[in-house]
Amino acid sequence: MKSKAGKSADALIIGAGVSGLIAAKELTKRGFSVVCLEQGDRVDSAEYWGDKPEFELMTQKRWHPNPNVRDLESDYPIDTTESDVPILMYSAVGGTSILYGAHWQRFMPSDFRVKTLDGVADDWPITYEDLAPYYDAMDVELGTSGLGGDPAFPDLPSPPTPPMPVGKMGRKAIEGMDKLGWHWWPAPNSIPTKPYGRLNPCALRGTCRNGCPEGAKASFDITHLPDALANGLRLISGARVREVLVNEEGLASGAVYVDRNGRERRQMADIVIVCCNGVGTPRLLLNSTSKRFPDGLANSSGLVGRNLMLHPYSTVIGHFDEDLESWIGPAGQPVQSMQFYETDPSRGFVRGAKWHVLPGGGPLGSPPDPGAPFDEQWGEAFHRKREAVFGKSFEWGIMAEDLPEHSNRVVLHDDLTDSDGIPAAKILYNYSENTRRLSEFHLARATEAMEASGASSVTVRPLMEDRSQHNTGASLMATGHLMGTCRMGTDPRNSVVDQYGRSHDVPNLFIYDGSVFVTSSGFNPTGTIAAIALRSVEQLIKQRRNQEVAA
Amino acid sequence: MTMHDTTAPDTPVPQQLTDELRQTFAGMSDVLIPRSGPLPSAREVGVHEEAIDRLLALRPDLKERFLRGLAACHGQDPEQAARRLNETDPTALAAIGLFASAAYYIDPKVRELIGYPGQTARTYDPDETPGYMVNGQLQRVIDRGPIYRPTPR
Repeated sequence: MKSKAGKSADALIIGAGVSGLIAAKELTKRGFSVVCLEQGDRVDSAEYWGDKPEFELMTQKRWHPNPNVRDLESDYPIDTTESDVPILMYSAVGGTSILYGAHWQRFMPSDFRVKTLDGVADDWPITYEDLAPYYDAMDVELGTSGLGGDPAFPDLPSPPTPPMPVGKMGRKAIEGMDKLGWHWWPAPNSIPTKPYGRLNPCALRGTCRNGCPEGAKASFDITHLPDALANGLRLISGARVREVLVNEEGLASGAVYVDRNGRERRQMADIVIVCCNGVGTPRLLLNSTSKRFPDGLANSSGLVGRNLMLHPYSTVIGHFDEDLESWIGPAGQPVQSMQFYETDPSRGFVRGAKWHVLPGGGPLGSPPDPGAPFDEQWGEAFHRKREAVFGKSFEWGIMAEDLPEHSNRVVLHDDLTDSDGIPAAKILYNYSENTRRLSEFHLARATEAMEASGASSVTVRPLMEDRSQHNTGASLMATGHLMGTCRMGTDPRNSVVDQYGRSHDVPNLFIYDGSVFVTSSGFNPTGTIAAIALRSVEQLIKQRRNQEVAA
Repeated sequence: MTMHDTTAPDTPVPQQLTDELRQTFAGMSDVLIPRSGPLPSAREVGVHEEAIDRLLALRPDLKERFLRGLAACHGQDPEQAARRLNETDPTALAAIGLFASAAYYIDPKVRELIGYPGQTARTYDPDETPGYMVNGQLQRVIDRGPIYRPTPR
């Protein structure tokens, strides 16, 4: 089928998620003509179920974070049969910010220097200090809530809006940490507590991770898209990119995509910016083969798809005798701790984890377990289980720093494709021994924290081990943090892009998403993805006169 | 990539929730969610009435296994049938149980009895000084000093 070509643009952005829309807003503001291709659709806040009684039932399918469970036309399937962790993401205008928990974190200084400080993995080509102004700028753009002065960071400024109320469960968590003399702090969220720009203040519904019906969470279709459109962005949704095109000089010249009607089209541009996340970006580059780039685009290092990091997740759930109203938000996070974040060699592992308090949710919870004995789920047990946990439980979630492993990777699937016939991604991922030791240590400490808070019992949920549970619709022990598969660096032999996201191999091809992370840190990555994207696009704009482009 | 059932018996699967199957669902729901203290049973709140029609429309992905399970249990003692279905076709029983539970917990009377108003919007004063700022808890964290390692020079 002959593909139709659209008018050439100054910049083509592939993916309208967090980084794509930051780039779109900044480039259009500076007068660039920009086309953005997004395979998903636009979502209206009224579509979310958080303000409706059937909310919990809908989170198990239509608004589940796992694309294999949702099984929407706009999703692409991901084979995780050879992965310890399922993959979570959302394909839409706004990307995964539609469903993210809005834990708006910055990394700590040591996160950028793990080789120097701990002798593992690699240092980043940038430092905390390089990114700090961009973290600050994003706080102002989004109206984040929180409290400055956290001693886990150097000179942390106060976010624009006050911290979330910590609620009864937050107070319980603080009580335990205070007794133990451990670090805790009111947690930062990209959810303002006062009206801010286009965002409403948080209403504490606790439905953040399945879409915010209040329009209070900073999803980037709300915070960034309107400005970009007003500045002339041409957004094409329902556009699934098959490959990035290159010309005879080896420069990116545009992309081929399949539109909503199944018709193949081309969009040409002077530069191409890929923002498809840590799985979608390597998938697209590996699908973009040519005579000049037989192993995929920007892949002379062989690292496209490798060093996948997913933040292995475990939790300790504390059960209390009193009512904590623990279905109330934010979810989101009211309280966090970095007590055990930095390396202590005596523990038998390197690096650490961020902890956060999460509410227990509504009474329905996960779908029934088909494998469970009848008398453990039904009859009197149905009431007994709810009585024991509902409203009286909350969790310390433990987000383990995931170190890069060459063997953990995204590859193209031999058979599986999306609904347009484009090869799907397969994940090859195993926990490392360091991760297992780290998780075991942190679970023991979080259990102590819950006991110090007065929990009458705890449930320890260790790292997910049963791969058959990935696609069941249950709530998952996974984060959806997709990082490292096109890492940044100074040496083209061991990195894919430079510190500004420019491909070493293709000088007018850029990557701005979590793929470029060198290490994962133990923090939710979106704040850092955003800061890097803002820094990178600023550099691109600054250097526009020197930028090599496709003829 | 959709989830497929591992068990799919040969019983013909009805296409609709007939009156007979609705009554089968009512009977099984009462076994799965019986009366308990002040809490009514599932049938007593009418999970088999308008609620199940609404939920089935919202979750068409579960309709086949739901109806399959009911058909396999129709005309039998509800408790024996439910226990047997949990062994022979557990995904079907899980679908029946999920619909019964979901319909039960969206019932206003049940919500009132368990003290759950739903995921409601709440008002609060973001400028109100939190207790931890005046009772010394936060100050003790600050007083312990920085816990990060600075960028090495």
